[in-house]
Amino acid sequence: MKWLSLLTNEWIKIFSRLRTWFFILIPILIIIGVAVYDKVATDETAHENWKQELTANIEADKKALEDTKKEDGDEFFIEMLESNIKQNEYAIENNISPYEKTTWQYMKDMAPISFLIGLFVIVVAGDIVSSEFSKGTIKMLLIRPYSRWKILLSKLIATLGFAFAMWLVVIVSTWLVGGLAYGFGGIDQTYIVQSEGGQIKEKLIVEYVFANIGLEFIELTVLVALSFMISTLFMSNSVAIGVAMFTMFAGDLVIMLLQDKEWIIYTLFANMDLSVLIDGQNQFIQELTLPFSITVLAVYTMVMLAITFTVFQKRDVKA
Amino acid sequence: MTTHTLELKNVTKRIKGKTIVDGLSFSVREGEIFGLLGPNGAGKTTTIRMIVGLISITDGEVLVNNVNVRQNYETAMERVGAIVENPQLYDYMTGYKNLMQYARIMPDVTQERIDEVIKLVDLEYAIHDKVKTYSLGMRQRLGVAQALLHKPNVLILDEPTNGLDPQGIYDLRNYLRLLANNGTSVVVSSHMLAEMQMMCDRVAIIQNGKMVRIDEITNHDEEKDVKVHFHIDGDVHQAKQVLSDGDTSLVLEIIGNELVVETADNKTIADLNRQLVLAGILVVGIQRKTKTLEERFLEMTKKGGNVNEVAIPVNK
Repeated sequence: MKWLSLLTNEWIKIFSRLRTWFFILIPILIIIGVAVYDKVATDETAHENWKQELTANIEADKKALEDTKKEDGDEFFIEMLESNIKQNEYAIENNISPYEKTTWQYMKDMAPISFLIGLFVIVVAGDIVSSEFSKGTIKMLLIRPYSRWKILLSKLIATLGFAFAMWLVVIVSTWLVGGLAYGFGGIDQTYIVQSEGGQIKEKLIVEYVFANIGLEFIELTVLVALSFMISTLFMSNSVAIGVAMFTMFAGDLVIMLLQDKEWIIYTLFANMDLSVLIDGQNQFIQELTLPFSITVLAVYTMVMLAITFTVFQKRDVKA
Repeated sequence: MTTHTLELKNVTKRIKGKTIVDGLSFSVREGEIFGLLGPNGAGKTTTIRMIVGLISITDGEVLVNNVNVRQNYETAMERVGAIVENPQLYDYMTGYKNLMQYARIMPDVTQERIDEVIKLVDLEYAIHDKVKTYSLGMRQRLGVAQALLHKPNVLILDEPTNGLDPQGIYDLRNYLRLLANNGTSVVVSSHMLAEMQMMCDRVAIIQNGKMVRIDEITNHDEEKDVKVHFHIDGDVHQAKQVLSDGDTSLVLEIIGNELVVETADNKTIADLNRQLVLAGILVVGIQRKTKTLEERFLEMTKKGGNVNEVAIPVNK
C-alpha cells in the first residue's frame, strides 16, 4: 500500500536518536583532527632528502634480513623485509616520493576509518529490530495493514541507506579536508606495490581509493545483514552488537588460530577485510582473491537474510 | 439482521502443548461495546494478540469485517485500531511525531484528522513534548489517539483504563459510547469487573482460556438475581424467625443487622414488611439489590474471597 512511508518512518526513527548525530560527527572530527595535527606537527621540509632516507632504510632492512636469515627466523618477516627493500629501491629509481601528500594520499591513509563506520553501523543495525522488541513498540508497528516481511524490509533498507549515506559523508569529508590541507591535485599520483609474482609495480592512488570505497559498501552490507539477523533472532541489541563486533575485530585472531585448517577460507572471518585484497599485500591467507571473497560474502548475506525473514515472519510477538 | 464486525470461531492457541485459549467463539456486533472479562492469565490478551496477528492462531478462524485474518492480513487490518497491553511509544520522539509514525502508514489520515484526535484525547497542551516526559495516563491517551487515527470500525483496547484517573476513565467511557453509537465495534478487555459493567453492552467471561458465558449487561435487572435487604433496628434473628414461620420456602440470610431475602416480587416484599411490622419489629429501611456482575463473575470463576484481590491491576 504505502510501503515507502514505512521506510520514511524508519529513517525518521534513526535520525531522531541523538547518538546517530554523534556517529556522523565523530568520524568527521577525526578526519579534521588528523589533518590539522599532521599540518601542525610535521615539518614539511623534513623529507626533502627522502632519497637519502630511503637509502638508509634499505641498508637497515638488509642488515635485519641477514640477521633473520642466520637465525632461521620467521618466513613472513623475511618476505616483508625483502619486499620493503625492493619497493624502496624502485621508489628511488623512479623518483616516486612516499612522502608526497595530496588529498588522494590522505584518503588512502584514512581508509582504516571504515572500521569506525562499521562499528556505528553495527550499533544501528543491531538496535533497529531488537529495541522495538525490548521497548514493546513492535506491537504497535506489527498490527498495521502490512505483512511482516514488508516491515522488516523497510528496516533493512533504512539501515543500509543509513550505512551507505554515512560512508559517503565520510568519503566526501575526507576528500574535502584532505584537499584543503594538501591540495586537490594528485589524481595521477602513484604508489608502489609488489604483485604476486614478486614484481614491483606502480599503481594509481585514485584506483586504490575507489576500489576501497566500493569494497566498503560490500563489507557494510554484510555487517548489516549479520547484526540484523542476530538482532532479530535474539531480540537483544547487546548480543547483536557483540557478535558483529567480534566478527569484525577478532577476525584476524580467529584466522591466526585456525590458519592451517583448509575450510578457514570459507568462514565469514577470513573474508571480512576486503581492502587487504586490493593489492594482495600483507595477506594472511594467500588463497583468497577478491572474486572468491565477494562470492563467499554474497552467499553468507543471502543465507543470513533468509533466516532473518523466515524467523521474523513466524515469530509469536509477546513483547 | 445484525452485522458482525468481528467473529471468532473455535479459536485455539497452544504453546508447547499447553492450551492457552481453548475453542473460543464469539461475535461482536456493529456498534456494540463488547467486554472480555476474566482473571489475570485467563487468555484475554492472548486472544487479542491472535485477533491482531501478533501471534499465530493454532486452530480456528478470526474474521474481521468478514475477512480472514490468517489468509488476508493486510485487508483485515485496514479498519482495525488496537492497543495491546500498555501502549508502548517511542520515548525519544514527541507525542506528535509518534502519532505521525502511524498516520503516515495508515490509509486516509488527513492533517485535520490528526488534530481532531489530539483534541479528542485532550493532549493539545503536551503533544509537542517528548513522550518520555508523559505520565502513564497521557501515554494511555496517546495510545488511544493512535488507535483511532484511521477511524477503525473495530477498535480493540486491552486494559484501556489502566493508568487513567477517574476523570479519564469517565471520559473514555463516554467516548467509547459515542464511537459505538456511530457504528464502531469496541472490544475491551479487563479484569476490573465494575468497570466492565459500566462500560459494556455485553461481556464474555473467560476463564482458563474457555468461554464461561456471555452476559447482556443492560438486561440484568430482569433476572432473578435480586435480593431485598431489610434493615432491622433490633433483633435480626427474631425477625428471621418471624418470616421463616410464615413461609418456609423463603431463602433468608443475615448480614450484620440486615435480613436478606431472595425475591424480586413487589407484592412479596410488601407482604414480608407487613409481617415484620405486625410482629413489632422495627424496619428502618428496605433496599432492593441486584446481584452485580462482580458477584456473578466471582461465583462463576469460583474465586470467591475479597473482590479487591481480583481487582488489583497487575499491569504497570
